[in-house]
Formats: sequence, structure tokens, C-alpha cells
Amino acid sequence: MGIEYKKSLAVLTEFVGVEEAENLLEWLLKNPKGKINLASCVHIHAANLQVLMAVKPTISAWPADENLQHWLSVLKK
Amino acid sequence: MANIMAKTIFLIDDSATMLMSVKSTLEMAGFKVETAEDGVKAMAKLNTGLKPDLIITDINMPNMGGIELIKKVRALPGFRFTPILTLTTESQQGRRDEGKQAGATGWLVKPVGGADLLKVIKQVLPGV
Amino acid sequence: MNALLEQFLSESRDFLQGIGEKLMQLESDPESIPFLTELFRFIHTLKGNSGLFDFPEMTRVLHASEDLMDAVRHGRVHYSQTLTDQLLDAMDFVGILMDEIESTGRIGSSHASSSAKLTKSLRDLLAQASAPVDAPASELHGISNIDHPSVDQVLEEFAAVEVTPETGALPSLDAPHAFDLSEEVAMALFSHASQGTPVFWVTYHPEPDCFFKGEDPFYLVRQVPEVLWSDCILQAVPALLIDMDVYSSQLIFQLLTCASQETLDDIFRYVPDQVQRVEIPALTFVVPRGSASDNANDEEFISRTLAMLRDGELERAAHSLHTMLELSASDLWSSSVLRWVLAMIEFAPHNTPAQCALLEALLTHENPDLTLLAHTAPAPVVTALTAELASVEEAITPENVAALDDTSAPTASVAPSNTDALMPCFYTVLHAQKTVLTAPASAWLKGRLKSVASTLIAVHRAMNKLDEIAHIQNALDAALANNAPEPLLTWLEQTLAHQASREEVSDQAKPVSVLSDQVSVEDITPDAPALQHAQVALESSVEPAKSVQRPEESTPHFGRRADDVAVSTSKTLKVDQEKIDRLMNLIGEMVVAKNALPYLANRAETVFGVRDLSREIKAQYAVINRVAEEMQDTIMQVRMMPVSFIFQRFPRMVRDISRKLGKEVELVLEGESTEADKNIIEALSDPLIHIVRNSLDHGLETPQERMAAGKNAAGKLLIRATQESDRVVIEIIDDGRGINPYIIKQKAYEKGLIDESVLERISDEEAVNLVFAAGFSTAEVISDLSGRGVGMDVVRSAVERINGTVGIQSEVGKGTRLFLSLPLSMAVTNVMIIESNQQIFGVSMDMVVETVRVPRAQMSSIKQKQTTVLRGRIVPLLSLNDLLALPFAQQPNEDDEFATLVVRVHGEHVGIIVDDFRETVDIILKPMTGILGGLGGFSGAALLGDGSVLMVLNPRELI
Repeated sequence: MGIEYKKSLAVLTEFVGVEEAENLLEWLLKNPKGKINLASCVHIHAANLQVLMAVKPTISAWPADENLQHWLSVLKK
Repeated sequence: MANIMAKTIFLIDDSATMLMSVKSTLEMAGFKVETAEDGVKAMAKLNTGLKPDLIITDINMPNMGGIELIKKVRALPGFRFTPILTLTTESQQGRRDEGKQAGATGWLVKPVGGADLLKVIKQVLPGV
Repeated sequence: MNALLEQFLSESRDFLQGIGEKLMQLESDPESIPFLTELFRFIHTLKGNSGLFDFPEMTRVLHASEDLMDAVRHGRVHYSQTLTDQLLDAMDFVGILMDEIESTGRIGSSHASSSAKLTKSLRDLLAQASAPVDAPASELHGISNIDHPSVDQVLEEFAAVEVTPETGALPSLDAPHAFDLSEEVAMALFSHASQGTPVFWVTYHPEPDCFFKGEDPFYLVRQVPEVLWSDCILQAVPALLIDMDVYSSQLIFQLLTCASQETLDDIFRYVPDQVQRVEIPALTFVVPRGSASDNANDEEFISRTLAMLRDGELERAAHSLHTMLELSASDLWSSSVLRWVLAMIEFAPHNTPAQCALLEALLTHENPDLTLLAHTAPAPVVTALTAELASVEEAITPENVAALDDTSAPTASVAPSNTDALMPCFYTVLHAQKTVLTAPASAWLKGRLKSVASTLIAVHRAMNKLDEIAHIQNALDAALANNAPEPLLTWLEQTLAHQASREEVSDQAKPVSVLSDQVSVEDITPDAPALQHAQVALESSVEPAKSVQRPEESTPHFGRRADDVAVSTSKTLKVDQEKIDRLMNLIGEMVVAKNALPYLANRAETVFGVRDLSREIKAQYAVINRVAEEMQDTIMQVRMMPVSFIFQRFPRMVRDISRKLGKEVELVLEGESTEADKNIIEALSDPLIHIVRNSLDHGLETPQERMAAGKNAAGKLLIRATQESDRVVIEIIDDGRGINPYIIKQKAYEKGLIDESVLERISDEEAVNLVFAAGFSTAEVISDLSGRGVGMDVVRSAVERINGTVGIQSEVGKGTRLFLSLPLSMAVTNVMIIESNQQIFGVSMDMVVETVRVPRAQMSSIKQKQTTVLRGRIVPLLSLNDLLALPFAQQPNEDDEFATLVVRVHGEHVGIIVDDFRETVDIILKPMTGILGGLGGFSGAALLGDGSVLMVLNPRELI
């Protein structure tokens, strides 16, 4: 559940709640090259989605959840 | 099963019958349920550490009604994003909108059938 | 009757009572907003609760009442007496239905017409009073009429949205490729749309502050099923990301889906104003795309194929098109046209104009506007979701929602009684779990194993197969340890095999369950949210052990809940009276058992000679005594009830009766919170009602009479309760015509209740109290209300039965004051023990005026009756042995004095001669039952500390 911040990687797992969005943005601003691992992510709250859309970080692993991956394809553009 | 985290639902209604009915449905579905009979008692519980994942409140209650409760809850630290559903009747279109205006996520229409209840909860509670 | 229904009935009675009270209060203060609000809330809640059950007759009436009160509350309908009458009738009706439900568990069909009638009259009231009613229907109409945008408007709005260049052109019906659809997806959509499955284009623009309403628009939009195309747009990103307000939603979601309109409306039901849904006509998707080619088109082929299409020779046309396709490069625009024509032949075979127009495009090299040629496709309809929401919600009844529901429902709603019926479902769930386990391994395995196991546990629990749960758990542990599904799979296969063999034996076709259709293999992949959720729900259902049903409990689940609710939701606990009575009896026994300890201590010392032990027993006795007394006291407190329990019905009663009699009455209630033992309160109820009726009927005059007598037209009736030391005094005071003692005396004399001598010396007050004499009825007219041969003597005996007294004072022309004095509690009775003929008896101290020793010399015989003079008053003397028909004379003491107990009986002092007095004790008096119950002269029996039985005399009956 939530986000685990590593050195240059943020690992989003299962359900990422709305409260995480502020920290996620902050971390991405501090780590402009930070990557996002979504492999075991099932859902991210819309607030997190708009952070990812605004910052457009590199996604190191796409979610296994096909429906989520489908929706997150906007991040590939 | 140690890793199962039951979500807590806070149910507020002044009718013991309604509490009993909804509470039992929720508990059967595996939720932890806390209850209060009006807004004042609900606030007292929230102020003393209750942190529900979802709040379901009646609108018409003595002492403090649902609309006022929602406003107060939204002002509490830690409850900015908590989903709140109001318990309304089919004739209360106006109260639903008022509830939404005050910060409710949605509403349930009494009588709340078990299936309907769980369906709505799934819609507003990710991970359920 | 299940616990929920019980709770409903009990709570509803409180509500009915409350509604009655509020209606009464409103009568005097019809403008009071708090009363109106409260009244509305009561009716509203009652109606809401009734909807939990299938009592349409009740719900209908309550619903109409609620609507009416809502109108009153908002000033649309004015308060009137008729309105109160109607509402009272309605509540009476509901009360009758409740009684019937309580006794039979259902509502008889005979009530349907009354229900309809009541509902109609309530609705009529609503319609009359508020001429331009804005009924809900018209409201809805209003919503649907506003802003019914056309497709163009929607698209225009969409165009206004900032779009990043990469997203491509704006979608418009002229350029549907803007949806950025591949030909495959477009064809899939086209096939759906042209075969009667509408395709909707949905745009969802969440309001900026939606996160602060607990919403997750992304989660919501992900619940839309059958999405064939989707996009997500972030509006306005600030120049500096650090300025971004992550909690202000800037998102817009768009999608194309084959989901039904109902599904969409349901998903977005809380945000209808933020969603627009357009049904896209099938032909919109027909957009050939590909690279252009310079190749001259084969005009001969085109005209030949066109002719075939026009002649309806579709097969030949298709053949021709296929041939042409094989000859062309597949990435060409022209090839795309050919494929589309083929698709149209397949999916829209009758739309010849569109087929032709498309084919003709090969000549113009331009995509044709086919939308005008929509043959069967409906015109594009754009609807703000709001419009239909109401109708959708109307359609959401518990039943059809249940029918729509997901996979978790069967487990959630298994009633313990019909597990058999659910066996097919049960096995379907098992099969589904097997499918999950056999799905290709993935990183999800662990979660999958756990969810399968918890699902299995949940269904087994629901089916009361508790012994299997441990096996499942073991299999899960093994599976998790090996990170492989086999252990669970093995268990599952065994179980299923077992079932298969059983089925062979029973040789019955297993009913195909609906569920098996829902849980298709496809749905079980991890990304199918519905099932995922269902499983999580099931998973979490395992945890709270308290919701688990136990086989030995017949209605295990609700029984448990009843307690839970009571404990956690209310500071007031409703307890069955039987339990309190039992508690009462137990404490009584406890007191008796405790009282045996001093005897024991005594014996320890005197018989066994162990003095220390005796002392210890005494010390212990002191402790037990204190606790027992406190306990007794507390239990008494539990039994205390406010007199408002009886008083609350008076406003309604007084109102009804006075109207019937054509009298005007102002009722004042005082001291409603005064408390007394439940038995006292209950026993008081009937006598009080009788008294009040009497006052209304005989006491108070008609307005004309009152005016003539120079009084207010409205009579005043005061009912007051007060506590005086250990007694409750209830007064019923009216300012009516009063009682004429002369008439009473005459009547009493005529009826032979008093003799001439009494007639002469009796005081006015005493005369008035003759109304309580047996066989006396003051009624000059036998009215409908009182005086049906039941006089005030019944009141008196009812009051005396609970050790109460009753009295009356009256002044002609001014009014009457009737008062009842009652013990606070009848649980403990203070009695004096007396001795007669070597037996002991008890006499309630309430009746004892004094104890005297009368020297034989002071006793005299008047008319063969023993009398003596005490404080200047002649007191008749009776021998207890005589009263008890014991053939022995009373024993005087050494000084030849007779122990005489002076008791008050019906206001007269009577001396009862006994052998000796003993101590007074507190006892728990139990009325005699069975054969002894018919025995006159005794009010009951009690156990004494040494275990002996004390018979308590009732001098009133004895004399």
C-alpha cells in the first residue's frame, strides 16, 4: 500500500491514496530524474494521476494491472 | 489471516432500527462498524481518535444533523478526503445536493438494501 | 420474529408516541418550528424504517404523511385541525398495523383499502392546500428540460478544452478519426453500434474541489466497463510545477464504451452534472484511413459493385470487394474503404445508401459524411445525466439491485436457513476459485492464494461448514510456503470430487446457477476490478469473528447484533421485563439467604461453640448485607418509570373525548418526570384513565353551561404528579361543576349503602367519598364514555390493590380534586409481625395506625360488638382469631391487656386484637398463586431469614 521512495525510484504499490500526492510531487521535484515503478500498483488516486501527468517522469515498470496500464497510457505520450 | 485489514465504517443514525439493519449488513460484508446516534456524539467519537475509512450519516437527526456534521468533519484534521455518504430517502433530492455541497461523496437511498449498499461502498472506497 | 423486526416495532411505538405528543403540542403552537421539525423527523424516520420491511400498506401511509409534514414544515401547507386529525388517524392506523405485525408477523390483506383511503386523504390535503404543488415529478421534468445540448454543443465544449497537440485533432462527427481509433477498434465499435448496442462517448470533467468530497474521479471512471477507447487530459499545468495544487482536480476523462446507459448513469450517479454522455451513431465510426495512393481507381469495379449493392446482391458484392482487396496493398486508404464496405455489408446490410456512398468515395478520394445516411441508427442523443438519474433511481429497488449485483452478494446474503438452496452457488464459487488457481502464475500469486483461501473460508462459513475452515487454512499455509497453488488446488479438487460423487448418487441435474455466467474465466484475471473487489470484500469478511454464524444458534446473526447495537449505540437499554422480574426474584431470594447468616452465626456459637467462626460469619454477613441492599436498591431503580408513561396518552385522549362531548378542555400536565415502580405505574394506568374520563364526562360542563356560570368556556383539567417521601401522589383537578354531597348522600341512602344514622351525621367530605363505595354510580346519564356500570369503586379497589389510597374533595360549582397516593415501590414491604394462636402473621405497616394494649376493663360491648375508646373515639375491636375462624380466644398479657393493632380500613379505624406484637421487617411480598390465590384475607406471603414462611394479612378483606 502506498509509495516507497528509494534513491531514484518511487515504488507505487497496490492502492496509492490521495494523501500521497503532495509527497509524490515534492519527491519528483527534488528528484527530476526519479523513476516510477508501477509494477504492483493496482490503483492511484486521481491526485497522484495528475501529478504524474504534469511531471511526466520516466516509468520504469508499467502496472501488471491491465486496466490501469491502459488508462495510464496517457503517460506514454 | 493476519494481513486482512478490515475497513472501518462509521455509521450515524438516530434510529436504532436503521443502525441495526445497516450495521449488520456491513458487518456481514466484513467491515468494522462504529455507530453514533447523532452528530454531536459522532463528533465526540471522531475527536477521540476514531478514524473511519468511510462515514455514513443520516441527515435528519436531533442535536446535530447530517449536513452540519459533514461540515464539521471536513474541518477536522485528517478528514479532508474521507468518503462520506448520506442516508436519504427518495424524496430528499434537495438534501442530497445539500449534503454534496457540504462535502459528502454521495448518498444512499433508504431503505438501503445490502447489495446496493455494498455496491456503493465499493464505488467510493478503493481497495474494497 | 427476528431481532430487527422487534427493534423496529419497539422503536416505532416510541415514534408513534412522539408523533402523537408533537401533534398535541402543535395544536397549541402551530407555528413552532422546533415542533414541526421534530414531528417531521419522527415521521420521516418511521417511514424510512418501515421501508426495511415489506409492509407497503404501512409505508404508503407514512410516506404520504411525511410528504404532508414536509409541506407543512416548509410553509406550503398550513397547519389545521383537519390536518392533525388526518395525521392522528394515519398514526392510529400504523399502530394497528404494528399490533398485527407483532402478533401475526405480517399485515393482513384487509388493510390494503384503508391504507389506500388514508393515503388518498393525506394526499388530497397536500394537493388542496398547496394549489401549485411542485411535486417531485415536475421537478425532474424541470431538470431534464434545462440545457439539453446537441451533439454539436457538447463537441464545441469539448473543443474549448485545451488539448495538447499530440492528442490529435478534436473529435467531431465530421472527423471521427479524432478519437484516434485504430481500424480494428473502430470496426468493433461499429459492429456494436450497428447491432443495437449503443456506443457512448463519455466525457467526465470532475469539479476542482472533488477530492475534498472524498471523491476519486479516476477510480470512478475506471469502473466503467467495456471501455474501447479512453483518454485523460490534464488542463492547465502551472508554469512552475512547484505551484501546482495537487488537490485541485484539473483532470478530464473521456472514453468510448459499450456499457449500457443504465450502467453509466449508475456509476456517475453522484456527479451527473460533471458528466456528459453522447450516443455515437454507428456510421460515425466508419472512417477509412490509410495512405493515399495515386493509383487510378478501377471505375468499372466501382460501378459494378455499386450496382450489386443497389440490387441487394450483397454476397456477390462482398466477393467482388474481397477480390479487389487482395489485389491492393492493405495500408492504402482505398483498401480501408473496401474493408469498411465489407464491414457494412456484414453489420449494416440494409443501409444501402451508406454502403454506396462509401464506395463512391473511392471516386472522390474524400471521406464521405455518412452520418446523414444513418438508416436505422437512432439520431444522436445527448443527455446530461441528470435528466435520467431520477428515473434510474426510481428503478433502483432493493430487488432489482440485488439482481444486478456482483459476485460478493451470494456470500454476503446467505441466510443460515437456506443453505441447501445455495449449494449450487457454493460449488460455482468453488469452481471459480479453481479457475483462479489454475490461471497462469504471476507476481500476483500470493495475493491470489490468500484471496482464494479467504473466499473459500467465507463461503464455508456462510454455509456452516465450519470444520473445513482449518483444512483450508492449512492448505493456504502450505501454498504460501511453497509459493505454489498446488496445496490449495488439491484440497479444492478433493472437495469438488466429493461433490461430484454425491451428485451422481443423487442423480439430479445440478441447476445451472446464474453465478457461473458471471464468473467467467476472463473475469478472473487480476485486472477485472469487479471480481477483485468482490474478493477483497470476501477477504475482509473473514476477519471479524463476531459476525460469524454459529450453527447452534437459530438466528445467530441478528441475536448477536441486537446486543451489539444496544450496547454501542444507546445509553438506554431496553430490557425484557421478564428479565427484570427474574432479577427481582433472585435478589429476593438473596436477601432471604443472606438473612440466614445471623441464624448460622448464632448456631455456630451456641450449638457448636465456635465463637470465632461466629464472629467471622457476622463480619461476612455485614458485607453481604451491604452489597445485597445496594443491589436491591439498584434493581428497584431499574424498575422505576416516569409517570409520563401514562400521562403521555392524556393529551390525545382528552382531545378526542372533549371533541366528542362538545366540550372545550385545557389540559395541563405537571410532574411528568416523577417516578414510581413499573408495576405501580402500570397498575395506575387504567384507574387514571377512568378518572380522567369521569372528570371530562361529569366534572366539566359544556361551554354554554360554563359561560352561564360565569366561567371560561374552556374547562381546565390539571393532572399533577408529585413525590411525597416514599409515596407518589397524583391529583386530578378540574374546575367543573363539582359534586353535590347532598345528591351523593341521597343516592347512597337509596341504594342502601348507608343507613339513616350515617346519612345524618356524615360530613360533606365523607359524603363525597361515597362515590368510591361499591355499587355506586353518580352518572345521571349513562354516556358513551363512562358510567357503563363501572363506577369509582373499581378505581378504588385497583388502587388499593397496589397499597394505594384514593380520596376526593369537591366544591359545588368550583371543581373537584381527586387524589391518589401510591407507594413508590411495591417490591419491598415493611410489615409488622404479630402473633396469634402461636402462629405469626404479617400486617403491612401502611395500614397500621398504632399499636395499643387495651386493658380488658376498657373494652365494652355495643350491639354485641366489642369496642373501646381511643383518644375520645369509639373504635370497634375485632379478634384476629375470629376473623381467621380460629376457635381460640385471644391471649392477654400478664396485666390482662390485649395487644391491639389499630388499622385504617376505608378511612375508619378498626382495632384488631392479637396475642402479641413482634418486630417489623422488610419483606419481598409475593402474591399468592394457584389454589392459594383464591384465598381471601391475605395479600401474599414472604420468606423470612430463617426460611419460614410469613403470611401477610390483608385487613381490608378480612374485615
